[in-house]
Amino acid sequence: MALIELKNITVAYDQKHNILENFNLSVEEGEFVSLLGPSGCGKTTTLRLIAGFNEAKDGQFLFKGQDYTKVPVHKRAFGFVFQSHALFPHLSVYDNVAFGLKLRKTDAKQIRTKVMDILEAVNLKGFENRYPSQLSGGQRQRVAIARSLVIQPDLLLFDEPLSSLDANLRVQMRMEIRRIQQELKVTTVYVSHDQEECFSISDKVAIMNKGVIEQLDTPPLIYKKPKTEFVARFVGFENILPMTGSGEGAAPLKAKDGTPFVVEGAAGMKGTVKCAIRPDDIRIAKDGEERGADNSTAGRIQVTTYLGRGYQYVVETAIGEFLVNSHGEAPFGHGETVRLDFPPDKLVPVD
Amino acid sequence: MKKPAYLLLFPGALFLAVFMVVPIATIILSTFANDGSVSLAGYTSFFTDSYTLGILGTTLKISLISTLICILLGYPTAYYISRTSVSRRGIYLALAIFPLLTSAIVRSFSWMVTLGKTGLINTLLLQLHVIDKPLQILYTETSIIIGMVHLFLPLMIISLIGVMENIDGDLMQAAASLGASRFKAFVKVVLPLSIPGLLVGSTLVLVGSLTAYATPQLLGGKKRVLATLLFQNTMTLNDWKAASIIATIMIAITFLLIGVMNALAKKLNPNG
Repeated sequence: MALIELKNITVAYDQKHNILENFNLSVEEGEFVSLLGPSGCGKTTTLRLIAGFNEAKDGQFLFKGQDYTKVPVHKRAFGFVFQSHALFPHLSVYDNVAFGLKLRKTDAKQIRTKVMDILEAVNLKGFENRYPSQLSGGQRQRVAIARSLVIQPDLLLFDEPLSSLDANLRVQMRMEIRRIQQELKVTTVYVSHDQEECFSISDKVAIMNKGVIEQLDTPPLIYKKPKTEFVARFVGFENILPMTGSGEGAAPLKAKDGTPFVVEGAAGMKGTVKCAIRPDDIRIAKDGEERGADNSTAGRIQVTTYLGRGYQYVVETAIGEFLVNSHGEAPFGHGETVRLDFPPDKLVPVD
Repeated sequence: MKKPAYLLLFPGALFLAVFMVVPIATIILSTFANDGSVSLAGYTSFFTDSYTLGILGTTLKISLISTLICILLGYPTAYYISRTSVSRRGIYLALAIFPLLTSAIVRSFSWMVTLGKTGLINTLLLQLHVIDKPLQILYTETSIIIGMVHLFLPLMIISLIGVMENIDGDLMQAAASLGASRFKAFVKVVLPLSIPGLLVGSTLVLVGSLTAYATPQLLGGKKRVLATLLFQNTMTLNDWKAASIIATIMIAITFLLIGVMNALAKKLNPNG
């Protein structure tokens, strides 16, 4: 049984507009699940609903099989790490971390041991008498994490915890978060709009769009086999190639000019089939070089831009415009005719 | 070369020096003069005369009670206003400040009309048969306090809102997620963080009501406070020396209060 389960949840922010509608999500115990998507997709709303800050208009939230839909925030024992850190400015690091324990009437000796242990776990030993205003951004974030971990929460919730930190610190902190999470084996739901961040630390990622989870899978699976056009575009498949399938066994798909395309996993598909491919996976070569008849088309270079590790081209062809990356030294010039090759295993059919 | 910026202070400082520092210094110095020698005789007689001591006591009592009532009325109001949306906050704030736009004298007159023997409150209570003879509210300490609270409540509210607005809403949610009920979160987070506003507001109300003149003069009847006693000494008794001593004592109390408040503020500074 899943640890948390959202069943047909609807959340509205006014009478007419729903942010989430019939939303479903389940998270297994010990899992690290990220909610990823553009702003306004409902990821933060989902997280705040789990925390209890938002109320569902409809639907049910189950925790360990119990109905938690109406349980108030302070009775949930879920740790929440805010984007703003939300440290209490009038309390020292020690008292910030001890806040939840004191509310639980833990005895002073035990509080001291627990606070010191958790401060050690987040590498903040020796900072217990500082005030939040005397800490750097990364240190504040670690205090915030320690504060929500020390109460031994049933669930840890992160709301874009790293977005207020600079790039180097972000990479360091996300490893820290993953390390702590794995060490303590606490079930975690993590919200971010940063793809790399989510992919690097999660067991599973839910890609959200307009209040719906488009795909919930392990990061490598999402990265290699996006299921929908939205997910494909979100993870960098910038080219979508519309084709038609005959529905017969192993017959190749056909592009709009009739060029046959062999696509792995597309056997038997009928009607319009959209295939996504990354700019890095399309092979570009001088026109006239010998190529097979399948998965290939001729085109003309429209725009060349320099990326550092290589060049990026916009190539116009009979079957549409493509973004292509190449690592070659000598770039093709504007207006030059080229040949594009689409490897069958790199084309991914999407909804 | 860049001119030192403090030159910008010069015109204002000059004005204050000529028209404030010098006269006040003259007043204070004059209270120690006694037939060409230095003496504290004026002060000893002020602090040994039970009449003047009584007035000092009344003044302090009225000011403290007014401040306390302003805190009790102003705190919830300010908290509510600080939690509303920005557009609504503007409206509420304007309403809270509105009394400040009327002169203290006009407001005192309206309280005389309301509190008097044939005033609104007595008439109403008589007609409802709650009482059978009019209550003496006007010309008592109570009426002075009512007037003071009316006069200074906006200052308390503004001071509190200024601080409460800056309390991050996430803090309450953070407290809740750590297990604090609304009440606990308020006591442990909002209250300590609003202390600076409470101290500023209290200083303004306390000093304001210690030195207020028009309100106690109009609503106090024969009840004297330091400010009205001072006026009586100059205008009626023509005793400028006694008046100067009262003025000096009022200045001293004001500075003392500000000093105490500052010390408290430093001690209770929420940021350590």
